[in-house]
Amino acid sequence: MLKVKNISKQFVSGDTTVKAVNDISLSVPEGTFATIIGKSGSGKSTLLALLGALDKPTQGQITVDDKDITKMGDRHLISYRRDSIGFVFQSYNLVPNLTALENVMLPMEFAGLKTDKQKKRALELLKIVGLDDQKAGRRPARLSGGEGQRVAIARALANKPRLILADEPTGNLDSQTGKVIVDLLKKLAKEEKTTIIAVTHDESIAAASELTFRLKDGKLIK
Amino acid sequence: MEIFRNMWRRKFRSFLTIFGIVIGIFAFTVMGSMALKLNKMIDGGKKYITGQISIMPKGTDFATGQMSGMLPIDTLNKIGKVEGVEAVEGSVSLAVDEPNPDEPISMNISTPATIYSFDTTSNFKNKNWETLAMKEGKLIDKESADNDISIGSTVTLDKQWKLNDKVIIRGKEFKVVGILDKTMSGPDSYVFMKLPVARGLYIESNPFLKSLRDRSSEAANISDMELAKLSPETRSQIIQAKTFKVEDVSTMAAVSWKDGADPEQVVTRIKDQFKDEVVVLSPKKMGETIDKASATMNAVILGSAMLALIVGLFSIVNTMVMSISERTKEIGIKKAIGASPRSIAWEYTLEAGVIGLIGGAIGLGLGTLTAVVLNQKMASKGAEIFLIDTNFMIAVITFSFVIGLIAGLIPAIRASKLKVVDAIREL
Repeated sequence: MLKVKNISKQFVSGDTTVKAVNDISLSVPEGTFATIIGKSGSGKSTLLALLGALDKPTQGQITVDDKDITKMGDRHLISYRRDSIGFVFQSYNLVPNLTALENVMLPMEFAGLKTDKQKKRALELLKIVGLDDQKAGRRPARLSGGEGQRVAIARALANKPRLILADEPTGNLDSQTGKVIVDLLKKLAKEEKTTIIAVTHDESIAAASELTFRLKDGKLIK
Repeated sequence: MEIFRNMWRRKFRSFLTIFGIVIGIFAFTVMGSMALKLNKMIDGGKKYITGQISIMPKGTDFATGQMSGMLPIDTLNKIGKVEGVEAVEGSVSLAVDEPNPDEPISMNISTPATIYSFDTTSNFKNKNWETLAMKEGKLIDKESADNDISIGSTVTLDKQWKLNDKVIIRGKEFKVVGILDKTMSGPDSYVFMKLPVARGLYIESNPFLKSLRDRSSEAANISDMELAKLSPETRSQIIQAKTFKVEDVSTMAAVSWKDGADPEQVVTRIKDQFKDEVVVLSPKKMGETIDKASATMNAVILGSAMLALIVGLFSIVNTMVMSISERTKEIGIKKAIGASPRSIAWEYTLEAGVIGLIGGAIGLGLGTLTAVVLNQKMASKGAEIFLIDTNFMIAVITFSFVIGLIAGLIPAIRASKLKVVDAIREL
């Protein structure tokens, strides 16, 4: 499903050039829950940004379902991200002024879906992630950490993406809640046949995943 | 809804920004309503003045409005024979109230009540003003008694004169036989009376003319021989009194032109033949002068209001820049989950537009209320100074929304161009 071939990403700051990602190649089959593990500064977040088409590699190729996303124009990338990728951020990054339900509806609104269909699907997704209707009407400030992350996962699933990218999805949660979230991601990968790639520094999450890639100084290590 | 929630998030800032627009739109509404009223009055006046050729006595001081009061009837009759002239009508106008020696200068917003003569025997017709509509009673005509008067709507309110009332003007009794409909121009302040009666009042008000009239019959009986024996000064006075005719007393005359004639050519002909005797005012030039004055007045009135509005506009820009700066991460999230740059730009432009709209609605409400209250206070004198017009109100509210959109556009476009990775700063 996902094929990464010799990608690198360089950042230039004055006279200094930093290779945050250095000649990485990997592939992830469809429906897999995979993790990318590494210490802080290993390049995992940069790699995730490249996989999610939020940034472009300095060199190399990324193919998702045989589509080379490194060659797509900006407009194409916007619709690609909207329709094919779901993001789960470490700090959930929910829109603070919107309720949980409205946050989940947001990607569908950008995709042009009618409001009643948005609402219906959003409620279904919140149910899947274990949030009831009452909590659906609350704003993020009134949700617990675990609940917020569930909403973020539901939002990531909104447009039925082929690929979900999660950046430290349990980073701000206690271990018990974190386990719940990881189990949820595993379940979604299996049941929804969505490929999930989570970036983490937590070995226990890596252990729970089906496929693990280790990063050090921007390179894959065995 | 998200827009209102975002505004509520920063209540004080939103309030201050909206308040800036409120002040601007309030000023614009009040000044605009005043300009509309003035324009309507000017339009009425312009319509009237461009529908005739106006003749003034030589020596009229246009700066002070001081007139000599003498337009010889012989001259007017000769003007009536100029090619293209249809009719000539002399007229007299003077203030209804005699000047108060204790208050030589009065600061009135409204036009004072003015006696305006009506020559019921003339066939003169203003080209742009066929008839005056009546609210009650009738306009004085040939059959009217000498002391019958028809009065304008402002006069009714100011003097509290009603139909069939007997009233005193300059020591003489008159009867109100008609009240005009509101015209929003000059006639609202007029008291129409027959020309000979108005002339009589004018002569009574002018000591020089009064003495000429009083001495004219006596002077007629003095022979040329007796005249020659008198001192030069007395002789000159007697000669003036001898030649004085009441019919020569006119503060101005109006000339209508024949159908198909070019009024400007008629003006030229009258000027050529009578330039040493009268001042001729061309309808075209008068129209241009009025247009110029009106444009200047509008520019001053509306320009000052626009200044207040521009300040409000900049306050929206400032608010949006700060708001976008605070919500950079939120913009990044939305872009990451599929928002296009266009939808981001539209979201923030619309938010700015809504701020403008809310400020505009409140400013318009307050401005309209102010105009209504002040008009009510002035209504007793028939001197409303604001015109409250629905189309204008719609235009103001639309304008405030558009101003908001414009103010938000540049910050919104900048927001739409933010790079997702930089905006989120996590990945």
